Amino acid sequence: MITKPFLFFLFCGIILCVSCEKDLPTYLEYEEYSFTGLDENGGTWKPVLFDQVSSITLEAPKEITSQSYKAEVTALKSAIGQMTDSQRESLAYWGNNPVVRWNEIALELIAKYNIIPGPNDDDSYTLPSPATPDGPPGFPFAHPPYAGRALAYLSVAQFDGLIAAWHYKYRYNRKAPYQQDTSISFAYEPNTLPSYPSDGAVLARVSRKILTALFPLEATYLQELEQNHLESLGVSGANVASDLAAGSTIGDAVAQLALTRAASDGMKNAQTPKAVSDSIKQAAFNRFGWQWENLELPTRPVGLTPLFGKVKMWNVTNVEDVRPVAPPAIDSESYLKDVQLLKDHASNMTEEKRRIANFWQDGLGTYTPPGHWNRFANEFIVEHKMNPLRAARTLAYLNMAVMDAGISCWDAKYYYHYPRPIQTIPGFKTIAGTPNFPSYTSGHSVFSAAASEVLAYIFPEKAELVRNWAEEAAISRVYGGIHWSFDATVGTRQGIEIANYTIHKAQADGSD
Amino acid sequence: MIRSLLNYTTVQQAFKCTVFLSLFFLKSTLVAQTPTDALMMPSKNVCFLVSYDYGAFDQYWEGERLRENQTIATVSRQTLLPMVAVGIFNDLNLYIGLPYVKTESSNPNGGRFEGAKGFQDLTLALKYKILEKELGNGNLYILTGAGFSTPATNYLSDYMPYSLGLGAPEFALRGIVKYQLNNGFYARGMAGHLWRGYTEAERDYYYNDGSYYTSFMDVPNAWNVEAVIGKWFFSNTLRFELNYTGIKSTSGDDIRAYNAAQPTNKVTFDRIGVSLQYYFPFAKGLGAVGNYSQVVHGLNTGKFTNVSMGLTYQFNFVKKTNTGFDDN
Repeated sequence: MITKPFLFFLFCGIILCVSCEKDLPTYLEYEEYSFTGLDENGGTWKPVLFDQVSSITLEAPKEITSQSYKAEVTALKSAIGQMTDSQRESLAYWGNNPVVRWNEIALELIAKYNIIPGPNDDDSYTLPSPATPDGPPGFPFAHPPYAGRALAYLSVAQFDGLIAAWHYKYRYNRKAPYQQDTSISFAYEPNTLPSYPSDGAVLARVSRKILTALFPLEATYLQELEQNHLESLGVSGANVASDLAAGSTIGDAVAQLALTRAASDGMKNAQTPKAVSDSIKQAAFNRFGWQWENLELPTRPVGLTPLFGKVKMWNVTNVEDVRPVAPPAIDSESYLKDVQLLKDHASNMTEEKRRIANFWQDGLGTYTPPGHWNRFANEFIVEHKMNPLRAARTLAYLNMAVMDAGISCWDAKYYYHYPRPIQTIPGFKTIAGTPNFPSYTSGHSVFSAAASEVLAYIFPEKAELVRNWAEEAAISRVYGGIHWSFDATVGTRQGIEIANYTIHKAQADGSD
Repeated sequence: MIRSLLNYTTVQQAFKCTVFLSLFFLKSTLVAQTPTDALMMPSKNVCFLVSYDYGAFDQYWEGERLRENQTIATVSRQTLLPMVAVGIFNDLNLYIGLPYVKTESSNPNGGRFEGAKGFQDLTLALKYKILEKELGNGNLYILTGAGFSTPATNYLSDYMPYSLGLGAPEFALRGIVKYQLNNGFYARGMAGHLWRGYTEAERDYYYNDGSYYTSFMDVPNAWNVEAVIGKWFFSNTLRFELNYTGIKSTSGDDIRAYNAAQPTNKVTFDRIGVSLQYYFPFAKGLGAVGNYSQVVHGLNTGKFTNVSMGLTYQFNFVKKTNTGFDDN
């Protein structure tokens, strides 16, 4: 009798513990789907990194009647017949649109490497260096500009690689093995996409090479992923070995072009020595009478990538063309109004404002705002049942706009060198971490507005949704206490303007 | 940042109340969901307790590395805990507690983060005496306890080291053995397991040795042990106790370099403490408790020092009288 209440309590507790166990998603799960279209003319679309598709050469495949091809088909059948459970899992994982998977792999590496170097014991800071990637600290620090740039090179290279693949697929028109031989089953929804060269192999090679250059400590991991992807393609029924080899050839050629551009785009000079950083700060002070200061303890001697604003843009000729007007002078009427606004938010923090500040924070240790917008794009791509070429195009234009947004934002940040709220409002505290760079304009605002415009162009029915998200992302930084409201509103307009350069280019690429 | 914040608990025992405050301080770690001592309150008795705890750390373990971080400087956590204990039967007690917590960084600090304050987790716990038996020159007690706690407010657990708690439901099951000599010396051991559910963050992506596309974070389960020696003095009016408390998460990731802690971290700590408990002879039913503790070793937790004090008041709610000692 006495033990009954106790046992009942025990029972309820155990039921509760067991019932809430569940798997948490580690990637975008989707049912494989039938592509809404194959974009048979995709080989005529305008690539980004080169002018003529013919500059990427690929020799004609052997005839399907040849002995060597027949041997490849026999090998394929044998491989499918001996398929292992882990190969089946790989097929399910990579899915019929591996553009999404390689993008997620990039997002994960960004989150893994988005760790800001802490101070040494003597209060100095050591910055990661590509020359000594092992560190400490390990290279890279995948902050938002680094992330946006990484995603741009990855997506552009994937896009160009697939344009070349489509060009040769429809030029050589080699039918997929499962289309030729009904005894071969295809792992995904059937289509009439020619198999030579393998689009999957292009993606595996180009993605592995770009990501290895950007995340050199992950070379082995990425090599394993590429191998796993190729192995799954080898038992999917869509490719024989020569299809895969041809895809790798194209992947190598396009990755080379992308990495050549990356090596000379100015990124290597973006993180400056202290003397250069001090002169940039002094120039702003002479011009405007204010300057941003890092308030961390110990003080960081140099802000984040002061010369990222000089990095070569994709679709804007001159960064100064999109530089916003100057922010309100310190102690001006508009400035004082914003001080009051920030104080009001801080003293009237609601659960809704806190939720917005946290949802869009995308801070250290996460995939950053560029990554957040790529995640949305991945979801839309699957929802729209895009083929890999369409998906790569979406991400290429998205990420070119995002990288251009970052460059323009950083140009404004270090040209105006405007203080953060904690610097000029005495005793001010925040619920978000104040970053190591000037305030005006807000990176979240520019990244998000640019990304949302490109997504609105590609997914018109999402236009209102994504533009609202971009505005929420912008104001989230004001709620977080780390940005002025004009950082957000001007940054949003700046992002929209930058995106339009990319959208104009997209509209003329032959795909619409 | 430092999840460990949560992990400090103070071990205090209200006299007759037999309440283990510590448990409650941290729903999170909830060492404290169930009273972990071996004292029982007689049937129809009720005990109120109010205690105040001040805990702080200026070093924390990032994985295994003990470090300082001027971004957060010294982090303090103050807890005000009102609790009530009810003797349902002589061998079954119920405990209900709801702490109010306030956290902040000392000045100056490099992060300028706002602290947090508010009610943490509502804890309900039952303790049941399975056995009480004379053995040699003393008595042997065997008890078991079960506790459940859940966030009482919508506080954000994903805001370490300032978050009020782990933000997850927790179910605790404990076994307690005590042997007390007739001269007042006693030794007690406790072992328990804490099952934690998920906490919900306000972001829907986080990194935990890989990407997670969800706002739910898996808060690791943990083992909880305690070892105590103590003695009653002055006709059972004063009790002095030395105690050890251990928490060991069964899974979880490490705090990443110079990065904030998160509720998924694998938290472990060893803490030693000393407690005093006093029953006022001039005011029947009124008692005082005090505790000092220090985390001496840990993983992914703050090196907390805690000081607490509290008052307890016990009476028989049927007879409306204050009760004397029981013999435990």
